[in-house]
Amino acid sequence: MKILRINMNEDAPVAKFEDLGDYQGLGGRAITSAIISKEVDPLCHPLSADNKLVIACGLLGGTAAAMSGRVSVGCKSPLTGGIKEANAGGQAGQVMGRLGIAAIVLEGKPKGEDTYKIYISKDGVKIEKDNTIKMLPNYELVEKMKKEFGEKIACVSIGPAGEMKLSGASVAITDMELRPTRHAGRGGVGAVMGSKGIKVIVLDDAGTTPRQPKDAEAFKDANKRFVAGLQKHPVTGQGLPAYGTNVLTNIINEVGAYPTYNFKEGRFAGARKISGEVEAELEKQRGGNPTHGCHRGCVIRCSGIYHDKDGNYLTKQPEYETVWALGGNCGIDDIDKIAMMDFLCDNYGVDTIEMGATIGVAMEAGLLKWGDADGAINLLHEIGKGSYLGRIIGNGAAFTGKAFGVERVPVVKGQALPAYDPRAIQGIGVTYATSPMGADHTAGYSIALNVLKTGGFVDPLKPEGQVDLSRNLQIATAFIDSTGMCLFIAFALLDQPDTNQALVDMINAFYGWNMKDTDVVEYGKKVLKFERDFNIRAGFTKQHDRLPRFFYKEPIPPHNTVFMVKDEELDQLFNW
Amino acid sequence: MKVTVKLFGGIKSDKEFQKNEEGNIIFEFSEPITLSQLIEFLKLNKKPFIVILNGIIINDLSTKIKESDEISLFPPIAGGRLF
Repeated sequence: MKILRINMNEDAPVAKFEDLGDYQGLGGRAITSAIISKEVDPLCHPLSADNKLVIACGLLGGTAAAMSGRVSVGCKSPLTGGIKEANAGGQAGQVMGRLGIAAIVLEGKPKGEDTYKIYISKDGVKIEKDNTIKMLPNYELVEKMKKEFGEKIACVSIGPAGEMKLSGASVAITDMELRPTRHAGRGGVGAVMGSKGIKVIVLDDAGTTPRQPKDAEAFKDANKRFVAGLQKHPVTGQGLPAYGTNVLTNIINEVGAYPTYNFKEGRFAGARKISGEVEAELEKQRGGNPTHGCHRGCVIRCSGIYHDKDGNYLTKQPEYETVWALGGNCGIDDIDKIAMMDFLCDNYGVDTIEMGATIGVAMEAGLLKWGDADGAINLLHEIGKGSYLGRIIGNGAAFTGKAFGVERVPVVKGQALPAYDPRAIQGIGVTYATSPMGADHTAGYSIALNVLKTGGFVDPLKPEGQVDLSRNLQIATAFIDSTGMCLFIAFALLDQPDTNQALVDMINAFYGWNMKDTDVVEYGKKVLKFERDFNIRAGFTKQHDRLPRFFYKEPIPPHNTVFMVKDEELDQLFNW
Repeated sequence: MKVTVKLFGGIKSDKEFQKNEEGNIIFEFSEPITLSQLIEFLKLNKKPFIVILNGIIINDLSTKIKESDEISLFPPIAGGRLF
């Protein structure tokens, strides 16, 4: 495996392959965070030539391992000012691995305003100016790339939001149907790609074969045990395939932790109408599909295809956090309109969580009324148009809150809180406050133990035990994000030690390693250390590891609790 | 005594019950019963994994229910991204 560096500083951009060197043994989030931490000046402007954008497949990317198609996108974040790893599914990870590329590093900054596209195949790298693709939305761009390069490609691209270098901009990854539906959404990674002048990276694995393990028999056996473990677990084998992630709407609402009206209440009257159960039924009725994999080799298949009322493709099945952000958080209970907003976010290339939280802040400011779905759709179109208002919204909740003088702005380190209220689920508040990523539910998904009773149970309404819970989850997550595995495998891993062992066996068989459980923990800690260290050098202090004050002062109904984990306890999270 | 029972994630009852306008079961009983007994009476197609009583996750199904309680039942489910 190689690192592909593309330097945009020169008059003609230069591509260069390098051995992994110091980065040997690192994949996914481990390699993106290591490169950013070691090579990027933490004080640089995120949109400057000194920042880098790293796109990496995981340790098992491009192998025959099931579930191994995730991509990590890393940089210094324009949204948080700290390190960022945004993670996505789709086809690109597998294709990169088959091409023998562990990481693509975009460096420097072009002098002019030209737009570039990059085509990578087994025969090499072509970098071309192409101003005909400037400001195209993602769907139109991918159609154009299909015409030019054929249908067996994977695209990594930005929409107009990335080109305008907005802090809410995402990097889109195409799925199995070659649609730009899977996004490295968080932290404005799309803006950094835009600052490099690169609109799209087209990956073509024609003529390549899967990466081969050191011990083929042991690898095959471990993969078989791993898949059997995922299929027998009730969550990965039944729950997720049937309803996708939006099955969470009802349960989070029922436990009173569903942030509604910009985090004012913990329950939404319209929750059932936008739940995963309703979404899946509509998809079946309209000829969509509620059980679908986002990349080849996925055996959980939690994604889906959403059709409109006339039975035409509208978007992929919106995820729980999207439905919450653009739905319940804004008082919107029309699932078709939420699906339209999901499409618009994908097409213009913005993070659905950040945009939903931002529209909630705009509603708080009185820019539009709670529940005004058409008004929310129009705000997203403003981003596509590049109007002044659209640029404010596209820069996220914190920026919009300042622009309109709003006090209640739900962000940590500048990044919007996702779909779980930290006053009713205290563990997730610890993750929001302390993750080097800013408010990010995926960084340490305490919901698993606080609500879903996977791997144990920690009372969500009490502060006790939440720091230990979040710490353990953040460490384990950092490791899984490095393997290229979808984090959903963890539901089975938490409950089934044999499935956990199968994953470790698979990695060992592939690389000829002898990794043990304790090494997995050390690996995760190493990744977090890269990230934490970068943030400290970027100027972050313990005061940045806090929630906005209203979470400590305003009780949320129905439980009428506030966030109760003490600051001193939060400060112990990284003391392991 | 009356309680409201909400079924989610494909859980269904084989029996006919009175329902409110939102489609939730209105369950009536005269003697105090436990959550476990309630679940047995309902004759569900799958065993609930997560039991919520008035917004609180309950691990002890010997907990008694009382007038006006709201019970929500879920199978094993997941989402967002775990760990």
